[in-house]
Parts: sequence; C-alpha cells; structure tokens
Amino acid sequence: MSSNTASSSAGAAGSTDSSAARRNSKRPKYSRFTQQELPACKPILTPCWVISTFLIVSVIFIPLGVISLFASQDVVEIVDRYDNDCIPVPARANKVAYIQGTGDKTCNRTLRVPKRMKQPVYVYYQLENFYQNHRRYVKSRSDSQLRSQKYENQVDACKPEDDVGGQPIVPCGLIAWSLFNDTYDLSRNNQRIAVNKKGIAWKSDREHKFGKNVFPKNFQKGNLTGGASLDPNIPLSEQEDLIVWMRTAALPTFRKLYGKIETDLEAGDTIHVTLQNFYNTYSFNGKKKLVLSTTSWLGGKNDFLGIAYLAVGGICFFLAIAFTIMYLVKPRRLGDPSYLSWNRNPGGR
Amino acid sequence: MVRSGRLSVDSSSTANHRRTPSRTVTLGRIQPQAPTYRTVYCNDREGNAPVRFKVNSISTTKYNVLTFLPKGLFEQFRRIANIYFLAISCLSMTPISPVNPITNVAPLSLVLLVSLIKEAFEDWKRFQNDMAINNSLIEVLQDQNWVPIPWRKLQVGDIVRVKQDGFFPADILFLSSTNPDGICYVETANLDGETNLKIRKALERTWDYLTPEKASEFKGEVQCEQPNNSLYTFTGNLIVQKQTLPLSPNQLLLRGCSLRNTEYIVGAVIFTGHETKVMMNAMNAPSKRSTLEKKLDKLIITIFCALVTMCLIGAIGCAIVTDRDHYYLGLHEKDWEYRNALMIAFFTFFTLVTLFSTIIPISLYVSIEMIKFIQSTQFINQDLHMYHAETNTPALARTSNLNEELGQVEYIFSDKTGTLTRNLMEFFKCSIGGTSYGTGVTEIERGIAQRNGLKVQEEQKSTGAIREKGFNFDDPRLMRGAWRNEANPDLCKEFFRCLAICHTVLPEGDESPEKVVYQAASPDEAALVTAAKNFGFFFYRRTPTMVYVRESHVEKMGKIQDVAYEILNVLEFNSTRKRQSVVCRFPDGRLVLYCKGADTVIFERLANGMDDVKKVTREHLEQFGASGLRTLCLAYKDLNPEAYESWNEKFIQAKSALRDREKKLDEAAELIEKDLILIGSTAIEDKLQEGVPSCIETLSRAGIKIWVLTGDKMETAINIAYACNLINNEMKQFIISSETDAIREAEERGDQVEIARVIKEEVKKELKKSLEEAQHYMHTVAGPKMALIIDGKCLMHALDPSLRITLLSLSLNCSSVVCCRVSPLQKAQVTSLVRKGAKKITLSIGDGANDVSMIQAAHVGVGISGMEGMQAVMASDFAIAQFRFLTDLLLVHGRWSYLRICKVVMYFFYKNLTFTLTQFWFTFRTGFSGQRFYDDWFQSLYNVVFTALPVIVLGLFEKDVSASLSKRYPELYREGIRNSFFKWRVVAIWAASAVYQSLVCYHFVTASAFGGKNSSGRVFGLWDVSTIVFTCLVIAVNLRILMMSNSITRWHYITVGGSIAAWLIFAFVYCGIMTPRDRNENVYFVIYVLMSTFYFYFTILLVPVAALLGDFIFQGVERWFSPYDYQIVQEIHRHEPESSKGDHQLEIGNELSPEEARSYAISQLPREISKHTGFAFDSPGYESFFASQLGIYAPQKAWDVARRASMRSRPKTPKKN
Repeated sequence: MSSNTASSSAGAAGSTDSSAARRNSKRPKYSRFTQQELPACKPILTPCWVISTFLIVSVIFIPLGVISLFASQDVVEIVDRYDNDCIPVPARANKVAYIQGTGDKTCNRTLRVPKRMKQPVYVYYQLENFYQNHRRYVKSRSDSQLRSQKYENQVDACKPEDDVGGQPIVPCGLIAWSLFNDTYDLSRNNQRIAVNKKGIAWKSDREHKFGKNVFPKNFQKGNLTGGASLDPNIPLSEQEDLIVWMRTAALPTFRKLYGKIETDLEAGDTIHVTLQNFYNTYSFNGKKKLVLSTTSWLGGKNDFLGIAYLAVGGICFFLAIAFTIMYLVKPRRLGDPSYLSWNRNPGGR
Repeated sequence: MVRSGRLSVDSSSTANHRRTPSRTVTLGRIQPQAPTYRTVYCNDREGNAPVRFKVNSISTTKYNVLTFLPKGLFEQFRRIANIYFLAISCLSMTPISPVNPITNVAPLSLVLLVSLIKEAFEDWKRFQNDMAINNSLIEVLQDQNWVPIPWRKLQVGDIVRVKQDGFFPADILFLSSTNPDGICYVETANLDGETNLKIRKALERTWDYLTPEKASEFKGEVQCEQPNNSLYTFTGNLIVQKQTLPLSPNQLLLRGCSLRNTEYIVGAVIFTGHETKVMMNAMNAPSKRSTLEKKLDKLIITIFCALVTMCLIGAIGCAIVTDRDHYYLGLHEKDWEYRNALMIAFFTFFTLVTLFSTIIPISLYVSIEMIKFIQSTQFINQDLHMYHAETNTPALARTSNLNEELGQVEYIFSDKTGTLTRNLMEFFKCSIGGTSYGTGVTEIERGIAQRNGLKVQEEQKSTGAIREKGFNFDDPRLMRGAWRNEANPDLCKEFFRCLAICHTVLPEGDESPEKVVYQAASPDEAALVTAAKNFGFFFYRRTPTMVYVRESHVEKMGKIQDVAYEILNVLEFNSTRKRQSVVCRFPDGRLVLYCKGADTVIFERLANGMDDVKKVTREHLEQFGASGLRTLCLAYKDLNPEAYESWNEKFIQAKSALRDREKKLDEAAELIEKDLILIGSTAIEDKLQEGVPSCIETLSRAGIKIWVLTGDKMETAINIAYACNLINNEMKQFIISSETDAIREAEERGDQVEIARVIKEEVKKELKKSLEEAQHYMHTVAGPKMALIIDGKCLMHALDPSLRITLLSLSLNCSSVVCCRVSPLQKAQVTSLVRKGAKKITLSIGDGANDVSMIQAAHVGVGISGMEGMQAVMASDFAIAQFRFLTDLLLVHGRWSYLRICKVVMYFFYKNLTFTLTQFWFTFRTGFSGQRFYDDWFQSLYNVVFTALPVIVLGLFEKDVSASLSKRYPELYREGIRNSFFKWRVVAIWAASAVYQSLVCYHFVTASAFGGKNSSGRVFGLWDVSTIVFTCLVIAVNLRILMMSNSITRWHYITVGGSIAAWLIFAFVYCGIMTPRDRNENVYFVIYVLMSTFYFYFTILLVPVAALLGDFIFQGVERWFSPYDYQIVQEIHRHEPESSKGDHQLEIGNELSPEEARSYAISQLPREISKHTGFAFDSPGYESFFASQLGIYAPQKAWDVARRASMRSRPKTPKKN
C-alpha cells in the first residue's frame, strides 16, 4: 500500500493499457484534454523577458515613428481661419443677422505659400464646434433614397427635413439640408487656379451609395434654407460636395475635402482667395477655416502618429534601461523560495 | 435555532405523522373528502379501477414539450441580468434608443438560446433516465402465469414476482418468499445508505401464495394508510377470507430497495409511481450558489452604479450643451422631448442607458456556466487521479455551481467512520511484561519519518506473516510459539488467555481457525480475539457458562489441546468503568480474573511493586498512543476461592437489586478488581483510509482547518485525531467533556432541568477559561497550536446563543477541533455556526446518512461514494471515493477553478468596460447626444463573437502551476482562502487598465484620424474612425488574454487568432454587402477604404501595443517587486518540463532498512510531555449486544428524519430480472 498520496498520480502511460481490458470499468479514459495536460507554453515574465520585450518594441517603434514623422513633415499645410475676418467690422456685433441677411458676402483672403507645394494640392474646409456626429443629425438621412429612385419616398428617418407639402425631399434629412455652401476661388498673380472638384469623394460612395439616376428634388424648398442647394439636373452620384458632406465626421472638429489644385505652388507665392461666406456657423460659434495641404503617402499633416510611435518607443527604451539598471543594482533572484509568503512570515496566520 | 433543532430530534417519530397530512395537502394530492385510508383489492384490476390510483410511471423531468418554453424562459428571467437585458431590449425598441434593437436583442436571444438548449439537454437526460426505469421489466401475474411487463404498466393491486437482486418496482405488500419462514432480505442502500441487509417477514397467512397457480387464488383486500413520506412507518390491515390481519412495516417492501439472498418473492402492489414512499421523499437538493457568484452580484451592482453615473453625467451634459443655436440639428419647439433641460436630461438618460448597456457583460453568466459545466464534467469527473480502482469509482461533480468554491475552502468538517477510517480494526502491536512487540509502522509514523527526510521503505512482510482481517501483526518473537523463548513466557501465556477469554465475542461458523467468523459488538474485540487465535489461542465455542479455547504450544511446542474455561462472572464494560473483567475457572480449578481496560483505571488498580514494568508499559502506551493506535491494558489476578465466594454473593445481590442496580454492580466490581497484575497492553490500529494522514497534513499546510465531527466516543475520536495527525502532543488541548464529576453528580440526582443547568454552567466556565488561555497563547509569539475537543452534550449547550460567540472564537483560534458524540443535527449546527458566524467557506465530507444534514449545511458538500449507500452522495455536491482525493479536488481542481473563474470574471469586466468607455469618451464629443460610436452589429457581436471564445479557453485551460506542483506547494491554496484574485483591489486594477486602454484606443485614433488620410487627400468619416477604433479594441482585448494566461495552449492561439480573424472576415463581408431594404449603410465599404490607406496599418500596430503597454509594465513591475506565490513557484520550476507527472517527492539517498526506519521513526516521536496513551474501546455492553443478536428491535436513529432518497440516483444497469 502506497502511503504516498501526494503522488497518487497513476502514471498516465502505465494506466491506459489496462483500461481497454476492463469493459465495465468506469475508469475515465485518458486524454490530454480531460487530464488537463495539453501541451502549453508557459511564459514567465522574467526580467530578461521584460527587458527584451521593451527593447524589441523600441527598436521597431522608434524607426516607424521617425518615418511617419518625416512623412508628416514633408506635408505643407496652409490654414486660414476666416469666419471672423470675413464679417465686415460693422456687422460683427450681430454676425448671425449678417450671415442670414441677403447682402454680398464675398470676402478676400490672402495666403502665403511657405514652402513649395507639389501638386496635387488639396483644398479643405474645416469646421469646428459643428456636431456632425450628433445623434439627431447622423440618423437624419435615407440611404435607400440616396441610392435609388425607387425608394424616393423612404423619408421616415429624415424628420424634420423629410418632405415639402407631402412631396419627398431628395436628398432628405438634416445632413443634406445643412450642406456646406461656402465657395472658394483661388488665384495666383491674378491668374485663376483651377480647383478640380472631381474625385474628392471615396469611390465606393460615388458608385454605390449615391445613385446615378437619383436627382435632387424639392431640395431646399422648405420654409428654411439650411445650406447649399443642388442642381436638380445632376445626379447625386456626381454631386461630390454632397457626397463628401454626407460622410459625416467623427468629431465636431473636422475637415472636408473641397477640391484639388493640380498645379505646383511655389514657395513665396501669394494666393488670393475670393470666398463666398454663406455658411452659418455663427449661431453656434463654430469656426471656419480654409486649408491648403499637400499629402504624403501617409496622408495629410499629422504629427500625432509619429510622436506617438516615438513616445511609445522611447518609453520602452527608457524602461528597458531602467529595468536593466535595476536588475544590475538590486537583482531579484528568480524563484527564491524565501519570497514565498509562508516562508516570509512563518506561522502563516 | 438550537431549540427548534432539539425539538425536531426529540419528536422525530411523531413529526413524521404530523407532517404527512400537511405535506400532502400542500401538494394538493388529497381531496378534502378523501378517506384517510385506501383500499386495495389484490389481484383484481377491475375492482381497483374506480379509485384511479396513480400509475407506476414516474417523471422527474422539469418540463414537458408544452411547458418547456414558458417555464424555461421564466427560469431564465429569474436571473436579474437577463431581466436587465430584457428591459434594455425593450428600451431599444423605442425611438429614444440610439441603437438598433438588434444590438441588444441579438445577444440576449443568443444567451437565452444557449441556456435553454442546456436546460433541454439536461431535462432530456432526466427523461431518458425515467424512461429506462419506467420500461424495465417486472413479472406480473396474469392468468396464472408470470408475464413480464414494463414497470410503468404496473397497477395497484397487481401481484408481482421479484427475483434475487431485482429492484422492487413499487411499494409492495410482501406475501411469500422462497425462503422458509416467509422471510426475505432487503438491501436499502438506495434509501438510507445502510448496506447491512434488513429482514422482512411476510404474514404467516400468506406464505403459501408462491406459485402462479396458488397466487392467482389470492384475493385479499388491503386497507392501509394514504401514501406518505415516512419510510419507517406503515399501518394497515389485510383482509383475507373475512379475516383481518394487521400489517406492519415488516411486510412492506419499498421501491428502490433490492432483494438479496432470496430466490424470489411474491407481493401485491400497494403504492405506485409518485405515491411510493421513496418518491414522496424525493426532494430537490437546496441549490447552492458559490460565494464568488454572490460577490459577482456585488460587482455587477457596482458596474450598474457606474452605468447610472455615466448616464447621469451624459444626461446633465446633454441638458447643458443642447442648444437651438445648433440649427442644423433641426430642433423645434414642437419636439417635446427637447422642450426643456429637464426633459432633455430625462430622455437622454435612457438613451444613454441603452447605449452603455454593454457595460454589463451579458454573456458573462452563460460563459461561466459553460466553463463550469465543462470543468465539472470533463475535468473533475474524468480525472484519473481521483479514480479509485478498487471500488471502480470515479469522482463525480453533481453540481457545476461550486467548482470555484472548492478553491476557497477554509474549514473542512469531516465525519470519522468511513471517511477518515475504514471501520476496520487491526491488531497491530502489543507490549507484554515491558517488552514491545510488533514490527509495523503506522502511517503517522511514516509521515513523521518522511517529514524528517527519511525514505521509509515499504514494509516487506516476512513470508510467513499472517495477514487477515483484524490482524496486521508480525513479530517472529511471538509467532508460532516462539514466545516460549521470551524472557517471560508465563506472562505471554496470560496475555493470550486474557485476549481469548475476556471478551463478549460470539464465534460463528466452523470451529476451525480458517473458517470461524467472530461476531462482535465492536470490531476492537474481534481484532483482539483474532489476535489470540493467531497467537495459538483459538477461541472457538461459547456457551452461556463456558468458553472453549484451542491452545497451542502451551505445555510444549507443537502440542494442541482444547481447554474449557468456565465463565463465572462478566463485569461489563461501560464508559465510567472503562474496563471489562471476566472471572473464569480453569479446568484445574484455578480461579482467575482477567481484566482489560483503559490504562488509567487499570494502573490505579494494580498491586504494589512492579514499578519497572509499569513505567516501561506506560512508555509503550504513550508511543502507541502518539502513533494513533488504540490501546487497552490487560491485567489478571489469581483469586482465592473463599474470597471469591464471598464476593460473588455480594455481586449476585447487586445483580438482583431493583434500585440503582448499575451503581451497585459497579461498586461490587470495585471490590474484586484490585491488586491486579499488569500483563501488558494491546495496540489496535483503527485502520485509516488510504493516505488520510498525509492528505490532512497537506490540507493543513494549505491553510485549511479540519474539524472532525463524529458520533464516536471521546477517546476514539481523540485517538483518530492523533492517528490523522490532527492533534499531536505538542498541541495545547482544550477538552470540554460532559464526563466530569460535577456533571455526573448532577446526573445522578436525575432532575433534567438541574442537569441542563449544571452542564451549561460547566460548559460556560470551561469555555471562558479556555478562551482566555487561548487568547493568551495567541498573543505570545511561539505559542503552541491549539486543539479543541468537545462532546455532544456540552456542544448542545455551547451552541446556545449566549455561548455561541465564545465557542466560535475559541474554536476559530484552534487549528483543529474534534467534536465527538454529536448527533447529525449538531453536525449541521456546527457547520452553520462556522459558515454563518465566521463567514468562512466550509466543506463537509461524509459517507453516511447521518452526514446528510451536515453536507447540506456546508457551502460545499462532499460525499464519499463507492462504499456505503447513496445517501450522502445524493445530498452532496461532489462525490469522491476516498478522503485523500480531497487534495486533488481542492488543491488542484478547486484552486484552478477559482483562479480561472476569477480571471474570466475580471476579463469580462475589463473587456466590457473598455468597450463601453470608448463609447463614453465619444459621447463627450457628440454633445452628449448619445450617438452610437460603433455600428449596431459590431456592438452586438463584440460580446458574443469577437471576444467570446478566448475567454472560455482561458476558463478551461488556464493554470498557474501544474497539478503536481499544486499538491507539492499546498500553501498556494491560501491565495484562494484570502480571495487574492477577487478583491476590490484587483477590480480596481482592472478598471484602471480598462480606463487606460479605452483612452488610448479612443484618443490615439481620433487624434490621428483628422485630415487627409491617404495620398489622395480624402478624409475619414465617423464610421471609418469607429471601425479603426473597433479593430484596435478587438486586437488589444484579445491579445490581453494571452498576456494574462500562464499557460498558453494552441487553443489560445486558435481562438485569439480566430476572434481577430472573425472580426476581419465579418468586416469584409458586412462592409461588402448592400441590402435592398432600408438600412443605414454607414459602414458600407468602410473596411476596404481603410485598408487602402497606410494609416490604417500604422494605427493597428501602434494602438494595441500602446494600450497593452500599461498592463505589461504593471505586470512586469508587480512580478518584480511583489510577486504572487504562484509566480515564485513558477520560477522555481521554470526549467522543468511539465510532462513529468511523476512524483516530486523529496528523494533523499539515505535508505534505511525497515527496522532502522521504524526505530528512527519511533525515536522521532515526541515524548515525556505526552499524556495521551491511546485508550479507546467501543463496546455497547454485553447485554445490549446479545439482545441485538437475538433480533430485538432497536429504535430508529434520530437522523432517519433527515434522510432523503431520490429515484434519480438509481443505477440504470442492474435492473434486469
């Protein structure tokens, strides 16, 4: 009789053969799963592992950070806030009244090109404090209506901009209704720079989400006019401004593509912008900005990614060094039984 | 509580009667006007037809096809979390919801579906089980033939024939049997767990109805009580040919019992189906919930509070921010929900509740259930380490609710007999005239030796050693007459004669040493007589006045002679005398008194002189006692005939006294039991179950305190406590016994009230004193460990509310507690005292019907299966075959389950919090409008698909250290007792991690997603951004599983990789399709757009790494500076391959011969301070023993009340007739 209970383990190999013989046995069948002996990797976060993980991360991340930072640095970006400046000084006391008024809203801005901007140069407008992601706003559209003439009447989601006197609005909903309608004319040395407004929307939107045979109807015919109106003779799939606008932004500060300039801009060039300041952001103190930007392979100017990569890589590098020093100065012996709680305070109460 | 408990014991016999009607009424089984008896016409189906008795088919299923859906759903919605999600789902149908109803309905339906499938599966199994029982065949008398019909077709009044080993299909009136005298033997193991056979006897009038021809002539009418649940009562009359014969339980054969030792019996069916007594007794075990789950509820409530807070913040924010100046939102006066700030806040609140509802992990419960189900059915039930080959019993988890509870047990309440011991006494050692004999090493000695680093070899029995039941002794100095060459052969002779003569054993069977069977009241006595037989003094016959012994080697070697001793007086054993004497006359006229008893009483009565022998014998007794053996001292005395005659007169007088006979007998005995000559002592091993001491040692190293609750006498209990290493001589023992002089005095006076008062006072005094002392020891640094020993009578008073606190604080200070002479009810009371009073997690383990209440009272009940009946097992949550399997059950399965469930819960908490928090951060940037960040389907599948499987794999395969290490470092278990892995601190750490990760995921992406996102300058919209965040989240959350796993199997890789892949595949498909119906096609083509940018790849590399970096640093630092114990153990054994499942015993090279080992082991035993000499002897006394032999009915035990029997337990196989 074995007194050795701690090892009562019937050796796995030795015990399997007998089980076949005994049909009636209730002996559980051996399997690695039921005996919980599946082969497994047992990672132990030893200092060595910790330090090398940090090093590996920093080795990968720092170069990536440098690359993406360089990419971002290559991008030349001109940002011009015009919402305030484009209101004539006398009208500034009541901007909303001015913008809702019918007077001439032309405004001239001058931009200086700091560095050579290779074509294509993208023209964006940037709005701030505009909740394009508001729950009421986001849902106020009808995708099926946008896609196909058949579903013209599906305007349930579009309230309050769903119909005009019983006639469905196409495109319906608050998003379309509040379409951005400032316009920009750019010129250099009194020479107009062409702004190409084709291909500013994602191809999938253009081709699938906005129908080729859906034409604007009853648009902006309500008692209130929100934003731009649309040419009822151009199908929605070609109204790229609308398509861009209707891909609602994630945050209340957002940029949308207005068009692209297909000529290089040289450093020191002065660019005159004649803009029509129609869009009302004054009611809610929203800012409007005009942005000219080139892109790199990574997109527009955005240092965040590069900095984040560098920061993470840097922290890892720093930690790797800190841990190494700690390891050298005051090493913890691995698997030292004296660390076990019951060895630290005997009695173990 | 104590009061009511006592009441129910006292009134147990009447309670059954009283309870019966109320029970039946509540069950609505009896119409108000129904007669209080039923009349059954035997063998007359037409006659019985008008009454419409219940059919014999049974159904233990919960549902049927029709009730399944409503009832099953009702069961599901009793769970608060499901109600919550139902409410959320309803909310999401309303227009205030930001999300599509599908978001909440889909996961809820999935969860309900899984639960319902599980329910249906379990019920189906029950149904099949019922079917198997209902369809088993029974022979019924039809037209003078025995025709097999299924059980379910059996009707009241049918005449049936049950063959040997068959089960009774219903409650049957016993008519006739093939045995003479109309008796049959019945095994009731399924009912009450008792394996000894019961005798049932048919009425003499019906003995003849045995053959089909005869039986078909039987036309009796039975009038009997209505069906009730009392197993031991039955009243009725049988009217045969105008003769009325009374019926008793003796003629009733209960369903669930089986027939033994009888070829077949014939009977008439009285109660069928659900009206049988066993079915009336069947009740559902109280369902237990694990402590961890209760704590989980608290966590859920906390989360719910967090949810409310978040929603409040959002609602207030919304009320402030919402402003008609944002004209593009189209807010009008006529939108009543936007009328004023209060309305806005109100509606936004509910909007946000639906939006953030994911914070409560909907699939948590169902996942945990699945994990636990697999844990119990696949791991616990299938564990080869817990399979007991001898009884062919694997472990059985009868509930899957309590797996993790096994990892937190702090108190174990154990029954003694059958659990710790085998109820098998073996003569093991002896000491004769100052010389110790016997080469055996007890387990406890072996354990001590092993702890001291010695490897004790397996005993190699010398080839000639005799090994039989009750005898496990080998010493060549005594065997085969070798004692003649010892220093004191005459004393040896007296020793053997004393063993052979001084006892109350009856020999049965052949008068040959091989075939004789000793019938003894206590197994100790049988062992002693067996020992005498093996020493050559074979006791083979007893008559009322004579004892016959076949003596070998007495005159000279090899000579065998039969000697007849005349027994003149027997001075009985009782607990005050603690000794038993026999006066006998040798054939040559020599008069001798042989006495055996406790060392204390014998030593007091020894003749003067012999101090050396006394001293040496005492030392031996202490050694025996410390090694857990039960000792008896033997002494004899030669009597002078005249002195004897005069004493005998006094004795006869005392015996015929009418008043105070006991006392007078004792006094008479005192007169002759003096000036004894010490022969020596015997040491009997109360054979422990295999591996009990080492198991107990392991468990106590694990920080578990073991209490022994036994019905045995104090001495026996203490002895076993020694043998199991629960008590040793270094411990301070507090003994609270009712066998004190003060109490005895009071008892002699006999006034019940007075007795109770005295005992209570005494107990109070003792408890106070002990507690003071214990507290004193607690404050000293190196105070001894303490043990409390208390008996049932004292316990009854100590459990009084006024003393309960004292008892509790005393016993909690003690490392082991022994309660002896306790009733089953007291066992339960003690268990709930600790459970409720100390708020500790308790486990009860037992094997018999008397342990049922204790098993049900504890958090975890464990039954010993495979030996006795099913009672304990039926009441238990886990059934194992051996006590020692507790190590595996607790230290391996329990610990792992606890660890796993903790991790699973924490992970669920973390992943849902992380997910919801990203949504919460987003809400701040949407003007608190409650716009959803993620697409509906993303959100609904997040929990049930994209993050569902890895956590289940974690719950199944996670292990910190291997099984063998878990047992080798039992101290690791303390992490569970301390609840290290489910503390608020841990929750806080996970919450911090969730906050950090959600911030990283959300802000890193939103901050960088601004502006042109590829070389064509196009910009991202809301759904592009949210899809990136979602992708990062899915990756980070899934990788987190790998970071928190201590053991990563390929299933981890498959599920983690699979989950991420599932998300991507889903995204590809979902973003690629357009449906014709009205749907917000927000995410159409989004993933393809994203994948066309470098930015996407840069982000999904950066964000998960940055998110997990915090956790990684935390883990690294935590491990470095304050490692958990298991982490250190991992490190110690980091180079060992796991496959080596072999024993990691301390193998030290110095092998000793058994002889050396033994002497070493003995030398290691503590000495001098010892007071414990191991006396223990169980004997019910001569008279009562012989009375029971004659079949005089012994009263039913009190715990019969507490029993329950269930048909579900019935084994499926052995029902073929």
